[in-house]
Amino acid sequence: MRRNQGCNPLEHEMARRRFLTSTVAGAAGIGLVDTHAQADQLKHQQKRILQVFLQGGVSQLESWDPKPGTVHGGPFQAIPTSVPGIHISELLPNIAQRMHLLSIVRSINIKINDHEQGRQFMEKGRRVGQFPYVGAVASKYLATPNSNLPGYVHVSSRGLSDVAGGAAFLGAKHGQLKLEGIKPPGNLSAPAGIDAVADASRDKLRLQFNQRFADRRSKAMTEAYDASYDQAAGLMERRAMFEGTASKKDLERYGTHDFGRYCLLARTLLENGAACVKVTHHGYDSHAENFNFHLEQLGEFDRPFCMLLDDLETRGMLESTLVVIYSEFGRTPKVNVRYGRDHWGTAWSIALGGCGIQPGAVIGSTNETGTEVADREVDASHLFHTYLQAVGLDSTAEHDLPGRSIPIGDPATESIQELLV
Amino acid sequence: MLISLTMIACSAASSVADTPLHKWVDMAVGMGSVGFENVAADDAGDAAFARRLYLDLTGMIPSAEQARRFLADRSTDKRARLIDQLLTSPQYARRMQYEFDTMLMERRPDKHIKSDEWRNYLRQSFAQNKPWDQLVSEMLTADGTDEKTRPAARFLLDREMKTDTMTRDLGRIFLGRDLQCAQCHDHPNIEGYLQRHYHGLAAFLNRSYLFTDPKSKQTSIGEKAEGAVKFTSVFTSESDETAPRLLDLPPIEDPPAAEEPYTVKPDKKVRSVPVYSRRLQLAAAMTDPANVAFRRNIANRLWALMMGRGIVEPLDMWHAENPPLRPALLDLLADTLADHDYDIRYLLRELALTKTYQQSSQYNGDAEDSDAAHFAVSMLKPLSPEQLAWSMMQATSLTETTLKDLKAKHLAAGTEDAEKQIDDPLWQEETLHNALKAHVDTFAGLFGVVGIQTSRFDASADQALFVRNGAALQSWIASGGGQLTSRLNMLQPPDLIDEFYFSVFSRPPAIGEIHFVTQFLEQQPDDRESAIRKLVWAALSSAEFRFNH
Repeated sequence: MRRNQGCNPLEHEMARRRFLTSTVAGAAGIGLVDTHAQADQLKHQQKRILQVFLQGGVSQLESWDPKPGTVHGGPFQAIPTSVPGIHISELLPNIAQRMHLLSIVRSINIKINDHEQGRQFMEKGRRVGQFPYVGAVASKYLATPNSNLPGYVHVSSRGLSDVAGGAAFLGAKHGQLKLEGIKPPGNLSAPAGIDAVADASRDKLRLQFNQRFADRRSKAMTEAYDASYDQAAGLMERRAMFEGTASKKDLERYGTHDFGRYCLLARTLLENGAACVKVTHHGYDSHAENFNFHLEQLGEFDRPFCMLLDDLETRGMLESTLVVIYSEFGRTPKVNVRYGRDHWGTAWSIALGGCGIQPGAVIGSTNETGTEVADREVDASHLFHTYLQAVGLDSTAEHDLPGRSIPIGDPATESIQELLV
Repeated sequence: MLISLTMIACSAASSVADTPLHKWVDMAVGMGSVGFENVAADDAGDAAFARRLYLDLTGMIPSAEQARRFLADRSTDKRARLIDQLLTSPQYARRMQYEFDTMLMERRPDKHIKSDEWRNYLRQSFAQNKPWDQLVSEMLTADGTDEKTRPAARFLLDREMKTDTMTRDLGRIFLGRDLQCAQCHDHPNIEGYLQRHYHGLAAFLNRSYLFTDPKSKQTSIGEKAEGAVKFTSVFTSESDETAPRLLDLPPIEDPPAAEEPYTVKPDKKVRSVPVYSRRLQLAAAMTDPANVAFRRNIANRLWALMMGRGIVEPLDMWHAENPPLRPALLDLLADTLADHDYDIRYLLRELALTKTYQQSSQYNGDAEDSDAAHFAVSMLKPLSPEQLAWSMMQATSLTETTLKDLKAKHLAAGTEDAEKQIDDPLWQEETLHNALKAHVDTFAGLFGVVGIQTSRFDASADQALFVRNGAALQSWIASGGGQLTSRLNMLQPPDLIDEFYFSVFSRPPAIGEIHFVTQFLEQQPDDRESAIRKLVWAALSSAEFRFNH
């Protein structure tokens, strides 16, 4: 008898109305903004998500749930943080100083040890089936109507296949725009022989054709078609955004390596109204030499991420930006013969903070040696509910789709209430 | 009006009259009733009709010459003749291949059966107008061991023989019901989607498995002689067990167990074959006349293909709270299709002949969007990726230029019968398709949706960037690619504008349009050829081109 009563149509309908009221009211309040002050206000009103995906599966023991001196603890120490009582790995010294901005969930058990399945579960909050990723949901319900950036942008150095950009039934518009690092998206420059003036004149002509065609015809689809050209134009205009315009000072702070530049790009994208930006940091699948790998990888991750966190905070955006650092799973406590740790979905951690999240908290725990969850076990479906509720969406409502009723989050589970503000 | 609908449906089922189906359809939609006629659109006109029909039946817009020829034809039966001509063209089989491939495989990547072989199988099936029930039976029966029928096994094999995937897709694609949410409990929101429906379907397949031959590595379908389907509701904890059964039809009980239940016993090295196969009961049960959902589903899908929206929409969400807009109409189509041995060409022909299909997509009077949904106004249909690719190549004359080159090459190669071959429509279609296939694949990759297909329209920024700035389209528009730009460049207004409109929009320009395009050309500062290129680009990226209207 799990949530049977919560599945009846009337409840769903009401939940959906509540959900829609909140988003529609938000959108109506925004309207069209021109002045700076209003734009500034908008920046505070719009909520958004920053996902930092540590691809391959970061070791919880070398990051959020260190167990120094225990049988599987490994060589690294735990260090105190800005929150009394919380200790994290010494590999994250900059984050340790900013722990009061973040929280940790230490009791995740997804029961999956496969990269692809784990990643899908963490993104969709569902074990099976075609459901949209967190980022696509954010694009659908958080993107401001007048933003001309795609709602969901993913910065990554290599391709992981995301069917339909993770949009599932939400449609191509909400699929991720995948950027290969800081390289601009494909086809971003006008073709040879067509300068800005020529481009503008041919585009004006396109709109004239469209205006003629629109006469006494249904607008729903043609408007969506026009909007995609506006988004394309928006990206072309912002081409510079993708081309190393970072200041010298920014580069000094963030670093000149790839991940530093990705974080800078993420900042720009978030400031420009993206509803969800995902940055992938590759290379945590440490089946061999786990400790050297993590020393190097987290060394690269820690500082640029903290610079980004600082910038979001000082620019007043952190309270409206949910920040999540996650993987597809953690790593085995047991160290293998190659000094590696293997895939481990049984007892691991993520960190999150910003919009809607109680800062400086630790949710759940693992046992002394980290071999199983000791308290407050959760899985990716709980996290999915939590992310969405943190940015003010009712994850127990249904998707706003014609003719279909699909619950946004898994109806069998719920959010981690004590983590939400 | 509702009363008359029922009467229509009854009399049509008994098919006493010689009245053809398309007239019954128009009546069932509501034509003739005052409320309907008040909002109904006008006739689309010959040019719009021809463009629509070419797109729907051949998958691309007509060439300028084809469009002109149709308009010039003065005979009164020319629409019916065009329908018949296009339905028997090689392009028709290709168009159906694309549509049914997308419907059945939903743009999945290749797994066990090469998609080329599967697509060829589909195309041949539509070329011979294979009845739908036969096509489905072949797909559900083939086990992949016989080279001749192996391509048909793709529906099951490329779903990796995963019971959940196969069950869900059988329900969605062949019965119009997405039963996934009824896997673990009776559907929470949809009355009538029951857990036993899901598991009844699953029971046909849960004994079957993907077998890989250890030597040849070829995959096929093996089956065990045991394996029951039991299920427990996660809500109520009630349990049940089911034999194979289709929705609410009686279960198909196994025959008494044979002493030796296997023809080929299970073993790692061989494909096991039971004496009694549950899977082989599926095709007959599915296509049995008692299974009404099967014929309603295909009738609804063919209707949606032509009209832009299902009578039940979404196509796979038929249930009590989402009933057909016109139940009598759907039954009329479904029953008549079954009476005609599932002759797809027949149904498409009748649908194309309806006034409903031939209406304008422009509103009249007080009509609104909801009237389009009720078939009083033609709906805009977004072009499929394949239609879009072929139509852009057709508009820029890339198809014509390429075919001319291919013919010359074939003649130069000096093959016997080459001269005769190059005039054969089938040779032309296949040769041209092979030459331009890579472009079509590019469009499919960018504009296609992998997974559940919907009738909704979606447009993303990277698609628009591709049209704006991508190399392919630019090269077709350049005078060296398709010949449209150079052809236009040799003309002067108003001939230039006439040729431009027929090539891209398949219609003559209105007077106001001649005016506005002339003005545009005059205002362009640079050379005329680049002005023409802008003109062609703007038209190809316009909404009038992007939608079938």
